[in-house]
Amino acid sequence: MHRGKGMKFVGDSRVPAQQKANLPKDYSEYPGRTEAFWPNFLLKEWLVGSVFLIGFLILTAAHASPLEQQADPTNAAYIPLPDWYFLFLYEFLKYQYAGGDYIVLGAIVMPGLAFGALLLAPFLDPGPERRPHKRPIAVSLMMLGVIATFWLTYESVSEADYETRSEEYGVDIEAVESEVNTDHPGYAAYEANCLSCHGDALQGQGSYPALIDTERSIEEIKDIAVNGVGSMPAGIFNGSDEELQQLAEFIKDPTGEGGSAEGSGSEEGSGESGSEEGSSEESGSTEGESGSEEGSESQE
Amino acid sequence: MLQKIYDWVDERVDITPLWRDIADHEVPEHVNPAHHFSAFVYCFGGLTFFVTVIQILSGMFLTMYYVPDIENAWNSVYYLQREVAYGQIVRGMHHWGASLVIVMLFLHTLRVFFQGAYKKPRELNWVIGVLLFFVMLGLGFTGYLLPWDNKAYFATQVGLEIAAATPIIGDQIRTLLAGDPSIVGAQTLTRFFAIHVFFLPAALFGLMAFHFVLIRKQGISGPL
Amino acid sequence: MSDKKRVSRRQFLNYTLTGVGGFMAAGMLAPMVRFAIDPVLKPSGAGGLVSVASVEELTNEPQRFEWTVDQVDGWYESEVQRTAWVYRNDNDEIVALSPICTHLGCTVDYGSNEEYPDQFYCPCHAGRYTKDGVNVPGTPPTAPLPPIEYEVREGMLYLGEAQSEGGV
Repeated sequence: MHRGKGMKFVGDSRVPAQQKANLPKDYSEYPGRTEAFWPNFLLKEWLVGSVFLIGFLILTAAHASPLEQQADPTNAAYIPLPDWYFLFLYEFLKYQYAGGDYIVLGAIVMPGLAFGALLLAPFLDPGPERRPHKRPIAVSLMMLGVIATFWLTYESVSEADYETRSEEYGVDIEAVESEVNTDHPGYAAYEANCLSCHGDALQGQGSYPALIDTERSIEEIKDIAVNGVGSMPAGIFNGSDEELQQLAEFIKDPTGEGGSAEGSGSEEGSGESGSEEGSSEESGSTEGESGSEEGSESQE
Repeated sequence: MLQKIYDWVDERVDITPLWRDIADHEVPEHVNPAHHFSAFVYCFGGLTFFVTVIQILSGMFLTMYYVPDIENAWNSVYYLQREVAYGQIVRGMHHWGASLVIVMLFLHTLRVFFQGAYKKPRELNWVIGVLLFFVMLGLGFTGYLLPWDNKAYFATQVGLEIAAATPIIGDQIRTLLAGDPSIVGAQTLTRFFAIHVFFLPAALFGLMAFHFVLIRKQGISGPL
Repeated sequence: MSDKKRVSRRQFLNYTLTGVGGFMAAGMLAPMVRFAIDPVLKPSGAGGLVSVASVEELTNEPQRFEWTVDQVDGWYESEVQRTAWVYRNDNDEIVALSPICTHLGCTVDYGSNEEYPDQFYCPCHAGRYTKDGVNVPGTPPTAPLPPIEYEVREGMLYLGEAQSEGGV
């Protein structure tokens, strides 16, 4: 390297005036066939990246990212469950000596030891050997940690009922904004008997399922209204048979005109849309109620 | 034309060595999947970086619609997912990317560990890598409060209880994170938003830059 | 094919690399950019007309009318107040003008300046408009007051959005 006296610079900067050819560095440390990083190796890397990206985009397009109902601190029925990558810790804290009175042990000491050991692995395993079978203690401890993490996650996942959760707590983003026809002859019966639980737009709430786009027949709806289903008790509906028929027709097609053609009932929907926008959720889970009895039908 | 602009800049700033240093180095055979298919394990680090880039970009775009406020957060997420074109995809990229980045990090960590690639002289880079892993977990934890749905709310409450289990200063840590000794609410959300969008990414960038400089400086570990 | 135009292996790889890189960038960014520019591409919600006053109330003297419209701003819905100056001109045609000064957006008033009793006057920078909304030359505004979309139905005056003249 030419330095010191006699060196010429560009202006008053520190950039040398005479540039040397930027010779590629040789990679002689490891003998064998080497390859230029740019463009040869990077091209292969990016091809892998492209395949990965395509798969990733297909995943995002195929599976909508879930959104649950807006946070409601008073919802006592909600069973919290963290994202999958925290499940191991969540599950670990269920053990007797990791939770309860021993929470410090389970929440701080044990994870602290595990992650601390991970952080300091190069200093806990300082020998020069790199091959796994030459450093059995480090490798077996790591294996233990990995297996424990997998096991805890598996245990937690197998206990959690993701299908029911997404039905009960999830919000169907693609749900069609329903505009309930309050002029429908069955609406009065709905309002009197069902609205307090199933919501003003049939959207359901909490553990009460939504009734939007129900796949049940009118006869089934009539039967449920009278005899109940799942956790819904019998005898909720009290009214005449005619009202029952109208109610069932209304639930089957809440936006329709119903038997009698009374004016255009599209106006009041827009008035309600303020409340509906945030709550016309769960329409995918119209059959949620049946989960206990008839097995849930696939929603997607 | 481009060549002239480049020469003009290069004459004054001497940028050639900068990119030459990145581009002009040889990659040894043992990390090249074209030579040994088993070398695909070396891809996990790069894929982690790739997903991180996706996360940064999609996160930047999501904040165009998102508001960190308990009354509007959920509605804005619902709105952007439902009404905005490709909102579903962009939020999906951020949501699924968060999981994928953890998976990739995990695989990358296992690769480095079982190959003993953290041995001298690369101890420091391992430590930085594990810190990056912690930062990612922190981003995951602060990130899922932001949509302000039931899952966010209750899982955060559990998380804060775990933090509060720390001896002696547990309550202080909880208050520091939640912004209030007992409520998980408005102040928690804005705090988590700030941590998720400014503090942790800043740490992430710094650590990542350090990670890459060290890789370049020390080279990829040799074959076993 | 002359030798000069032949693509070397390295060049070919560089082109391929750029192509693959471009594909990845496009795949990542296309949905995000479309997401970001969505408000530009969304058709502007043509605000409906609102019944404001009876046609009989209108005189030759501009009157100030106020009404509210429901405004949906993304996830935020609110009621916004609108105002307009409405009168019948000499040909008995209804003229509805927006009160927003085309200079810097203050609210103009009719006849509030004693010197110019039959002109719209903007208190901020003394901008003036004649009664038909045309800006008086020599005063700050450079464009006339935008007319407001109106309709007369069953004796009621319906007002809508101000029609931007474009390129103010």
